[in-house]
Amino acid sequence: MKYTPRQPKSNVNVTPTSHIREFFVLAGGLLGLIVVIYLMLGLAVDLIVPHISIDLENKMGVHFFQSMDGKDADSQREYYVQSLMDDLQERCAKLPYRFKIHVRKASTVNAMALPGGHVIVFTGLLDKVSSENELAFVLAHEMGHYAHRDHLRAGGRAVVLMTFSALLFGVDSSVSKVLGHTLNITELSFSRKQETQADEFALETINCAYGHVGGATDFFEKIPKEQDPGKFGHYFASHPETRSRISHLNNIIRSRGFNPAKRKPLPKAIWTFIP
Amino acid sequence: MYDLLIFLTLIAVGYSVGTLTEKRHYRSIHKREKAFLYLPAVTIKAVDYPEEKVRSAELVYGSVVISIDYFKKILAGLRNIFGGTVKSYESLIDRARREALLRMKEMAGDATVIVNVRIETSTIARKANKEGVGCLEAIAYGTALTLEK
Repeated sequence: MKYTPRQPKSNVNVTPTSHIREFFVLAGGLLGLIVVIYLMLGLAVDLIVPHISIDLENKMGVHFFQSMDGKDADSQREYYVQSLMDDLQERCAKLPYRFKIHVRKASTVNAMALPGGHVIVFTGLLDKVSSENELAFVLAHEMGHYAHRDHLRAGGRAVVLMTFSALLFGVDSSVSKVLGHTLNITELSFSRKQETQADEFALETINCAYGHVGGATDFFEKIPKEQDPGKFGHYFASHPETRSRISHLNNIIRSRGFNPAKRKPLPKAIWTFIP
Repeated sequence: MYDLLIFLTLIAVGYSVGTLTEKRHYRSIHKREKAFLYLPAVTIKAVDYPEEKVRSAELVYGSVVISIDYFKKILAGLRNIFGGTVKSYESLIDRARREALLRMKEMAGDATVIVNVRIETSTIARKANKEGVGCLEAIAYGTALTLEK
């Protein structure tokens, strides 16, 4: 065997290829996939929401809730609102949730329904209401969203992603925690139909609780026109047609023969105390 | 936005500088391989030669560490998603092995033949097994035999 020194003419170990071309093909493909998945997630909401069990929702709700900044304030009024909510739930709106009220300091005249039964009530709303019935209507309205599970649909892609993550990696996995912190659940928006259904639910509930519907429309009536809806303004921002909601409620009140009677005042001792 | 700018700059710098460096390295490899053609490096364990004619036998080795450039790293990352041959790493490994062989030959000096040559590679990652291949080490070693003329 003789050794002949020679250099190989070509290199079999390195593929002659354009890296730039490969880069654009791969990056383009990835981008396309992301766009498709994003669009599909938007469509998947309505398919998935009915299948999310209350138990899973409660577990996921913790992560969503933690992504909200701020601390609970005004424990006195929080306690009162909580007991009002519990009373409504126990007597008239038997929903499979354990509602937890969080009072947050903000001038926004609003309340929010977050997944897992966390209801955020802003002090701006508490300062505006003048009777227990009025407050009960707002709380019952939020319960209406829970009853129809609108709050999950409104969460949109965030809820879909979170559900997948919870099912694939577990609710307490770091993936789910990171998702909960980064996804913007506060982009809640309800459709007109969802609001109307929640209003009807609220009307039934307070009629059951008080025997009359006094104060049901008070809240809408006194909203100042110039109120800045803020980013959670689902009473007003998504509803420039507040007047039509009031007349819709009044129509129901008339046709069902509900009795608009005297309002029950708020507990003075708590309400005059503003921390 | 700012992050994206840094990312794109890194890719551009990685591509241009990386391509230049690679071309220069290959030119040097080709030149030195030609110069070392007189010294065979083979994988057989022994040569058929009378023992008393072997003047010396010693261990020779050459090693090199080469890093991937940013562009190719990103390209390989994209490849990781879709699968397939990671072409962007091929030249890195090829260069490292050939450079290691050349350094081994340089260490052998005026030996007649290098037998029992082995080449090994190992990764030197920034965080062990987390960042993937950042740097690659190739080592070539063998036994250099110097024979009586």
